[in-house]
Amino acid sequence: MNIVVAMKQIPDLQQIRIRNRQPVFDDVPLTIGDIDKNALEAAVNLKEGTDANIIVLSAGNEDVEDTIKEALAAGADEAFLILDDDLEDAESSQIATILAAGLKKMDDVSLILFGEGSGDNYSGQVGSRVAELMDLPQVGYVSTIEVNGNVAKVTRSLEDVEEVIEVELPAVISVMAGINEPRIPSVTQILKAGKKPKEVLELDDIEIDLGAATIETNSNLAPESDRKKIVVKSVDELVEKLTAENLIGR
Amino acid sequence: MDEKFDAIIVGGGLAGLASAYTLAQNGLEVLLLERGDYSGAKNVTGGRLYVSPVRDLFPDLWKKAPLERFIAHEEVAMLAGERSLTLRYSGNELANEPYQSYSILRAKFDRWFAKQAERKGAAIITKTKVDDLIIENGKVTGVLAAGDELKADVVIACDGAMSLISERMGIRSPGLPKDHAVGFKEIIELDPNVIEDRFGLADGEGAARLFMGEVTKGKFGGGFLYTNKESISLGMVVSIKDLMEDQDVTAPELMDNFKLRPEVAKLIRGGQTAEYSAHVIPEGGYKALSKLFADGLLVAGDAAGLALNIGVTVRGMEYALASGYYAAQAVIAAKEANDFTASKLSLYEKLLNDSFVIKDFKNFKEAPQVLDNPRFFNHYPEFVGNMMKDIYEIPAGSKDRLYPTMKKYMKFGELWAMLGDLRKVMKI
Amino acid sequence: MGYVRGLKKGDENMSEPLGLKAKLGLNVFKEDKERHIEIKAGFEKDPRLIRAVYVCPAGLYSLNDNGEVEFTIDGCLECGTCRIACGPEVLEWKYPTGGSGVQFRFG
Ligand SMILES: Cc1cc2nc3c(=O)[nH]c(=O)nc-3n(C[C@H](O)[C@H](O)[C@H](O)COP(=O)(O)OP(=O)(O)OC[C@H]3O[C@@H](n4cnc5c(N)ncnc54)[C@H](O)[C@@H]3O)c2cc1C
Ligand code: SF4
Repeated sequence: MNIVVAMKQIPDLQQIRIRNRQPVFDDVPLTIGDIDKNALEAAVNLKEGTDANIIVLSAGNEDVEDTIKEALAAGADEAFLILDDDLEDAESSQIATILAAGLKKMDDVSLILFGEGSGDNYSGQVGSRVAELMDLPQVGYVSTIEVNGNVAKVTRSLEDVEEVIEVELPAVISVMAGINEPRIPSVTQILKAGKKPKEVLELDDIEIDLGAATIETNSNLAPESDRKKIVVKSVDELVEKLTAENLIGR
Repeated sequence: MDEKFDAIIVGGGLAGLASAYTLAQNGLEVLLLERGDYSGAKNVTGGRLYVSPVRDLFPDLWKKAPLERFIAHEEVAMLAGERSLTLRYSGNELANEPYQSYSILRAKFDRWFAKQAERKGAAIITKTKVDDLIIENGKVTGVLAAGDELKADVVIACDGAMSLISERMGIRSPGLPKDHAVGFKEIIELDPNVIEDRFGLADGEGAARLFMGEVTKGKFGGGFLYTNKESISLGMVVSIKDLMEDQDVTAPELMDNFKLRPEVAKLIRGGQTAEYSAHVIPEGGYKALSKLFADGLLVAGDAAGLALNIGVTVRGMEYALASGYYAAQAVIAAKEANDFTASKLSLYEKLLNDSFVIKDFKNFKEAPQVLDNPRFFNHYPEFVGNMMKDIYEIPAGSKDRLYPTMKKYMKFGELWAMLGDLRKVMKI
Repeated sequence: MGYVRGLKKGDENMSEPLGLKAKLGLNVFKEDKERHIEIKAGFEKDPRLIRAVYVCPAGLYSLNDNGEVEFTIDGCLECGTCRIACGPEVLEWKYPTGGSGVQFRFG
């Protein structure tokens, strides 16, 4: 049985700084999104005591080959990568198409895990799109997974209810942030990661039509809000101003 | 893991990377462990690397290295309370290839250097701190890192100025204030055109400026400025002993005041600070060097005390690179003989002794003692500043003739003290 | 202290120095599970601690109203100066866990 974990390479968000109101990406180290790491940890926990094999699946630019070592060190058994420098800014629908094409090249896949959203854009679409393209059932907002034979029993944690669902495998499951504590690999595991099998394909190898990009990003800055800049000198004055603004004493 | 490495290197600064690069190039199995997110993440320098002495040790390295600007203009300013005197130097040897020195940023340079070492075959693992040495029968046989036991024939401690690893082995005692300075600096971003205009730089050229005198309030040390491609490195190096004994100003206050000096403020005007960093610097010189080897252990770079503070310039990077290189050479020889005892590894010390590194240290043997004299950092700048003022000032009334002006400054006692200091300086 | 105040201000060429906290805020700091520097038990009132107030480039040591030295670790640049000034007898000083603490982008 193969468990596939889809993981996305993202910039280390803490290292991005803002210069002239623009994010600076130069020299920012690359890593894997935190929620994707939760998905991998869930897979590693599921694998324990079984003969399952964990395949990490990723599409992105050439740097992914290096970045993905993090996943191989943290418990993935092999990597399946589709790399092209054009994929750096690819949008969710295109990535989903590529991942689905990659998945179709694998045998005996019973579970496909995603994080509920990527660490950078958080569009949260790729899992659902892949399920649709592959005609598989999909469950989102998952906090626990148990596999019995060819059925997975999962808990969905929604805002005010928890739903327990059984889903037939193969299925696509998107896990929520923070459902587990991803392990920090040891030096030995990191050293071994470099020797784990990696299958690297180029876009041409999977023969798909990506289609034109359809999304244009205009801005990703926080909206500017005008402040009223009212300065008060005493509590009384504060109360007066807040009342005048209709914020208290209604 | 049953795998045993030929060498494990603690710390991926210049010394560690130079070792890893050289060992891997010679086909040895080497593992380097660095505690930062990447090499350079923890490393601070003022910013000037003298490439000349180490160029030939790494012949393939320099062409593509991310160096900032080659230093073509040098200035030293002596700042007194309200006036300053600046010496400017530009010489042919500065502006012609191969360039002697470059400004560099460590986070960029070290990260790139780490990649080169990996390409040569070194295993480099970041985000991993070495917690302890494994010592068996008095011989170092490996390290403990994040719970893992990792074995090697030799461990090379390249863990920087505060080498907890060599302290652990007992070949170095905890650093003393008199042998160390603290350096702190800001990276101030500026448009490259502004930098070039302001410092009068042609394409690719860079400027180095040193400031001594009032900026340190008489403490041993000074201020520095180096131009990078798109930023300025501005900082200070000050004796820890003086700071803690004088107790008249804190390190951050010195930095703020330094930036407020008109001579400095005009150079950084309009710039945006992008980072603030600090690090201790060994400056005890030859007498404070620690033991360089033990059974199964070598120490290189700042970890061995291999940095020199000659007045206001600190040199440590070339020594780190060179000592890393010679440590690797000693390991290569030890591996050939399959003998990793202290006596075999002592080849390292011999190689260093024959190189520019220890020669420099011997030449500058007296520097820390001579320069540890408040007159240099307090009195002379004030003195020279006042003298220049009297020479250049055109008062409302008549101006004194030059000779009496000079004579006023050359009173007997003054002259005597100066001569004494001068004599000591000649020894440097 | 109060050295800044002693200088003439108002020159238009001078930009106000950025506050120390704001300056440290420009750096990348990654959280550690534990504090890597501690004042050793029994040394809280050691006179040597005063030195750290003067030498720490991040201004993390300060004197409170009772004349005792207070220390916060947030913003530590891992420079090692406080350990050299006060000595390992007074301060328990380790490097933070790998991958935590300050990460310089320029260095
Ligand atoms: C403000 C300032 C200005 C300076 N100006 C100049 C200059 O202009 N020119 C010059 O030549 N020199 C200068 N120096 C000195 C120079 O920067 C140093 O001599 C040089 O960086 C030493 O290199 P190194 O490789 O020995 O140590 P470092 O660069 O300090 O590297 C040590 C490495 O070891 C790692 N490490 C430590 N402990 C562990 C552990 N237990 N496990 C894993 N990793 C560990 C650290 O993270 C670090 O990466 C200056 C220094 C300062 C602070
Ligand atoms: S290590 Fe440096 S920055 Fe950190 S507390 Fe000590 S002196 Fe301050």
